[in-house]
Amino acid sequence: MGRTIRTVWKALASKRLLGYIVAVVVIAAATAVLKIFGGHVNPTTVALTLLLIVLFVATAWGSKPAVLASLLGVACFNFFFLPPFGTFTIAEPENWIAFIAFMITAITAGQLSARARRRAEEAEKGRREIERLYEELQAVFERASQTEALRRSEKLKSALLDAVTHDLRTPLTSIKASITTLLDEVRGGSHEEPVVALDPESRREMMEVIDEESDRLNRFIGGLIDLARIEAGELHLRRRWSAVDEIISTALARAATITQGHQVEVNIESELPVVRVDERAVSEVVYTLVENALKYSPGIAKIRIIAERSAADGMIRMSVEDQGEGIAVDLRERVFDKFFRATRDGDISTHKPSGTGMGLAIAKGIVEAHEGKIWIESATGGNGTRVVFTLPLGDEELTEESEHSAAVATEP
Amino acid sequence: MNDKPRILVVDDEPQLTRVLRTGLKSHSYDVRTAADGLSGLETFNDWHPDLVITDLAMPNLNGLELCRKIRAVSPVPIIVLSAKGEERTKVEALDIGADDFVTKPFGIEELLARIRAALRRAVTPVVNGVEPTLLQEGDFRVDLESRSVTVGDREIHLTPKEFDLLTYLMKHAGKVLTHRRLLAALWGGNYVEQNEYLRVFVGNLRKKIETDATTPRYILTEPWIGYRFNPSAE
Repeated sequence: MGRTIRTVWKALASKRLLGYIVAVVVIAAATAVLKIFGGHVNPTTVALTLLLIVLFVATAWGSKPAVLASLLGVACFNFFFLPPFGTFTIAEPENWIAFIAFMITAITAGQLSARARRRAEEAEKGRREIERLYEELQAVFERASQTEALRRSEKLKSALLDAVTHDLRTPLTSIKASITTLLDEVRGGSHEEPVVALDPESRREMMEVIDEESDRLNRFIGGLIDLARIEAGELHLRRRWSAVDEIISTALARAATITQGHQVEVNIESELPVVRVDERAVSEVVYTLVENALKYSPGIAKIRIIAERSAADGMIRMSVEDQGEGIAVDLRERVFDKFFRATRDGDISTHKPSGTGMGLAIAKGIVEAHEGKIWIESATGGNGTRVVFTLPLGDEELTEESEHSAAVATEP
Repeated sequence: MNDKPRILVVDDEPQLTRVLRTGLKSHSYDVRTAADGLSGLETFNDWHPDLVITDLAMPNLNGLELCRKIRAVSPVPIIVLSAKGEERTKVEALDIGADDFVTKPFGIEELLARIRAALRRAVTPVVNGVEPTLLQEGDFRVDLESRSVTVGDREIHLTPKEFDLLTYLMKHAGKVLTHRRLLAALWGGNYVEQNEYLRVFVGNLRKKIETDATTPRYILTEPWIGYRFNPSAE
């Protein structure tokens, strides 16, 4: 029902039928009212009132209803208000002038306001068109930037794939070369070139290479899994109240074979509070930093591990410092990118085997999962690198929330 | 006096140089290793190896630059170790004058075969100034004066360009020749991008020398890189 009325209303408004109806009704009503108070109103008031109605109709419904209103107004003005009343004749010549003036004014005003209305409509239409174009343009820009982002992420992906395949293939190459050397001996060489038997020392060396490189492959794959978990936001921390000195000693125990021959100094502030962290994950971070410090330190350089409570924000602050060449300021952020290696991608040259390029990226993931931060500074004295990370103490309320989730795979 | 062939291995991966040193020594080669291009070049200049094996991606002077620097002073055979994904660098190295490539990971027997082939080519006496009038490689016998060619006991007739192509291939038997190198040698520098020229002439030459041109045994295709001439089809 309501819907029918609305449809009719719409049709009326759009077909200007309503305008005609309003023109007739309002002019008639105004005439009636004015006629009732006939004695008190002079013809000028009547003319102005009727003109007002013409203007209103013109503004609301355009020129054609306005013309109708004008003609009707003129007729009524003449019929009811210009003597002799009740006829369309006009007696006084001055009333002729008033009548004609009213007629011209009514029609002109009606046309002008109708034109103004049309202009306004056109302007509105123009504005809507511009708005539509703007929105379309915006959509196009958005799509373009999405494509660009996608293209860039594809490019990044293929760069990462290159890095990964390189790191998988390198140990494989050594393994394959070792095994074929051993096989070659077993098979007795080729007919073209009989093999000179390997001495036990060489044979042992080949097998050692196979052993070490298989471990390297396995470490690399483990790192990939950790990284994938961190990136998918699936690093479930098994937070427990833990003592900082225990975390550090766990890491150092694991690093015992690689710290051999190096001097490791540990400074832990006395009476450090316990922290709610995933012990294993944080000790993995410390291990990674110690391993890196050793890797980039010459000879028997000293490594310093410091743990203290920051006076500024009350967080636990741990750092590992070496006496190596240091890292250029512009590389200090990039070393945390996955697969970035200062030895390969930066300018540092070393003959030592470089790492997997994942250690620091994983360390960063673990620290950030604890709402901490990790960064690189120059070590005290200017020589060497200091990697610092912070850990919030942890909340009493956040107890045992992820006790049942799997801990990050950080097998030693 | 040490008459073992000397091989210089340049690679930044210490485990691989370790394996190659041991593996090649057991095949009676004298081996030295270097971990980057720069120290590789130093060893090359001091030690004068008979053959160089080099990786491509290395710190301090990469493999490509090393090839260029060595080629500038010496015709010593160079074998490039490359990985899948390094094709462009590999082709560039071959363009510069590297003799051959082995793709990582590789078996030692493959590397040994390439080493033997490269060393064999290197000992073929090079007569300076005077061109030999008779070329003989495997099944092929070419008289450069009468321009007669025999494959096995079959005499064949070649157009002048086919003749040039065959003699160029024979002079570089066993070596990987890039499209670019062949085009530059036979048609000159302006034609180095015109792979289709080469394809047509190789096709024609194959029809004349191969017993079955669809499965060539003499002119072998190295996909995306070029050709390798194998003078004794076995």
